Amino acid sequence: MSGDLPLTRQLPNGLVLHALEARHAPVVSLWVWYHVGGRNEVPGTTGMSHFLEHMLFKGTPLHPKGDLDRLLARYGANWNAFTNPDVTCYFETVPRDRYATALELEADRMREALIAQAEVEAERTVIVSEREGYENDPSFLLGEEVQAVAFSRHTYGQGVIGSKDEIKLMTRDGLYEHYRRFYSPANAYVVIVGDGEAEDLLLQAERAFANVRGDAPPPPPKAPEPPQQGEKRVVVRRAGGALPMVQLAFRSPRATDPMAVALSGLTVLLSGGGGAGEGASGRSSRLYRALVDAGLATETEASFSLMKEPYLFWIEASLRPNVSHSAVEGAILEELARIADAPLADDEMARVRRQMLAGTAYPTDTTTGRAYQLGQLLSSGAARSIGEWYDRLASLTAEDLRAAAAATFVERSRTVGWYVPEAA
Amino acid sequence: MIRRTRTFVGPLRVVVAEIPGLRSVVTSLGLDAGQLAESGGRPGIARLTAQTMLRGTTRRSAQEWTQAIDALGASSRLDVSSQQAVFHGQCLVSDLAPYLALVAEAVLHARLAQEDLEFVRQQTLAQLEEDSRDTRAVADATWRELAYPPGHPFHTRTIGDEAVVRSATVEELRGFYDGNVIGSEPLLIIAGGIGQAAAVDAATAAFEAWPKRPVRPALSAMAASLASTVRRDVVVPDKTQCDIVLGWHGLPRTDPRYVAARVTNMVFAQDTFASRAGNVVRDQLGLAYYVFSTLGVSPVAAPWAVRMGVNPENVARAIETTFAELRKIHEGDIASDDFELAKDKLVGELDVALESPQGVAQMILEAELFDLGEDHFERYPRQLRAVTVDEVVATARDFLPLDRYALAVAGPPLAA
Repeated sequence: MSGDLPLTRQLPNGLVLHALEARHAPVVSLWVWYHVGGRNEVPGTTGMSHFLEHMLFKGTPLHPKGDLDRLLARYGANWNAFTNPDVTCYFETVPRDRYATALELEADRMREALIAQAEVEAERTVIVSEREGYENDPSFLLGEEVQAVAFSRHTYGQGVIGSKDEIKLMTRDGLYEHYRRFYSPANAYVVIVGDGEAEDLLLQAERAFANVRGDAPPPPPKAPEPPQQGEKRVVVRRAGGALPMVQLAFRSPRATDPMAVALSGLTVLLSGGGGAGEGASGRSSRLYRALVDAGLATETEASFSLMKEPYLFWIEASLRPNVSHSAVEGAILEELARIADAPLADDEMARVRRQMLAGTAYPTDTTTGRAYQLGQLLSSGAARSIGEWYDRLASLTAEDLRAAAAATFVERSRTVGWYVPEAA
Repeated sequence: MIRRTRTFVGPLRVVVAEIPGLRSVVTSLGLDAGQLAESGGRPGIARLTAQTMLRGTTRRSAQEWTQAIDALGASSRLDVSSQQAVFHGQCLVSDLAPYLALVAEAVLHARLAQEDLEFVRQQTLAQLEEDSRDTRAVADATWRELAYPPGHPFHTRTIGDEAVVRSATVEELRGFYDGNVIGSEPLLIIAGGIGQAAAVDAATAAFEAWPKRPVRPALSAMAASLASTVRRDVVVPDKTQCDIVLGWHGLPRTDPRYVAARVTNMVFAQDTFASRAGNVVRDQLGLAYYVFSTLGVSPVAAPWAVRMGVNPENVARAIETTFAELRKIHEGDIASDDFELAKDKLVGELDVALESPQGVAQMILEAELFDLGEDHFERYPRQLRAVTVDEVVATARDFLPLDRYALAVAGPPLAA
């Protein structure tokens, strides 16, 4: 897959544009990524980046509230936004002939969002509602606790959506200051994939964003996480779930670390790359066989995210009724030790490699998926192109996986969480 | 524009849409083995059968079969809905033939052994237990119980009834399999970077042994109606938010008013931002993070329901607001911009869906399942454009009556 480097150009205002052609459908997917997320917040303002994401749909002087939603809806666009610990991203996939409008909307809200007091108040309850929806999910409740315990200093421990109390206390002025500080061309990049020549896609974007002015990018947050010196454990007892759950979170390196690609491969080895549950694929994975086939769990998942700074490698399992937490935790640790002890046999390595490569190829067969994948790799610096990442996955060896497992799945860098359902 | 070709491999209808430039192929094998095929009083048999089909074939064990699927890097699942069981998959173009061969093995040579059923039974019971504390699942299950009489295929969620799951036998699954999986009129959609000839060759090699059976009568459901308003609130302990399902019985996809109903649905609540209910409940009043409605796609009238997640203090207001928006539609109080927006969105989405092979396959599946015609993809946007305000009002009055609906709320106790 080499040779798919996007056409890249930096504008005088600091904004970096990346464009790729995708000619199979008459659409263009536009993604604007800002280097601001949960990690840029301090206690008292947790959830601010996410709150701000909502406010960027609430109008500018040129496009009052509702204008953007209705314009994009009118085009049948696939559009949304998300915030993660590292970045905030806005995207829309639109019919080719609406690309200029999409660019105009994004360039406008880069610096011109109103963030009106009345809209802050109306949206506050929506965000509280979003958080309350998550709180209904035992996996979220446990994960939030595990994440908080896993980090003693780094702001990754705060999560993204923020505490309910802090959401309720968020001020309009605080939000606006956050906006003006982080929403600047020099602190953002744009990914465009679509049905047009890359040069043309880029030129149109250049015209749209060229006159947006902003400040120099703020310095990255500095709260390095000290090395963990031993296992941490957390237990959540709630009546809100019916099945017990186990989560293990291991300290893992940043996306630019050479080991990151092997850790991505380990998620495939452990759970097929996604969750190993009711699907027909992914059932040859190690954790499916050790936990689900063995009657210990109903489903299990391993995940590793490409992040700007060292983060966590997660493993989660939902237990079958009457199975103990310790039995499942023990089975997971046993499987991890087995992987760290000996390289995979050739046939299993071939299977894992194929799953990794196919899993990278499938999303890129949609215009939206290709744009997201490229943008995600760029956000963390993991790779300069999807092809580069694909080639690195392709070159992984069984020994690479073993070595990554041996370095990561160690007692002193893990946090273990148990969700214990209690009678109502 | 979608271009499809149609071929028969025995009883299997194979429909191919080539999308040049893609490296992968999406497949959907539709089997008439969904909830509608379950005999009255045995909800859950369709899903149990489908899941047990993934536990091994007469030729190899579950682990050998799944290793073969994973060795291709294929993504695959077998989902059961109201009408069908659909084997969805995606593989690289070069792997279509071996992938379809594995799907064919699972479908035509399912083992359905006792030990396989026991495994699936225990997994399902665990899921049912989990669902009993999941507010969305509880709201959905409660709504179905209110809206449909026992024995109706939509009375229960596809996961089924606990007593049925506990008592199902291998013989029962084999009977369902023989009559509805093998004995169905199967449909295979192939969309992606492969030409028609190569796709049909792969399908033929995989499925040519599919036995021909007499065509069975069309699936139907017992009559059901909502004579009045029914509501039930269910307390799910230790939760923060209530999930609400407000719904009606809908109309069959084959009903001539269905296209107008799609526009009505969009005007009313389909989209959290572009529809009236979402706009007011979320955007104007801030009562919910999610609000949306779905209109069932089925040969029989399938649920037409609004769903939302709301703080218990706001439940009454969110429901009142939703009804206020529906009342406006009943009264013809529909802003022309809202009406045009709904149609624009539905038409525009057709173009945007072309970016994904899954989107193409989904559109073809609907067109083929309901025999919507050779020119459906040309005609459908025009049909949407031709819908009038009067038709939207009439559809709302006919199918979304203000005085006959089922309403389920699951979550923390509601404020007095």
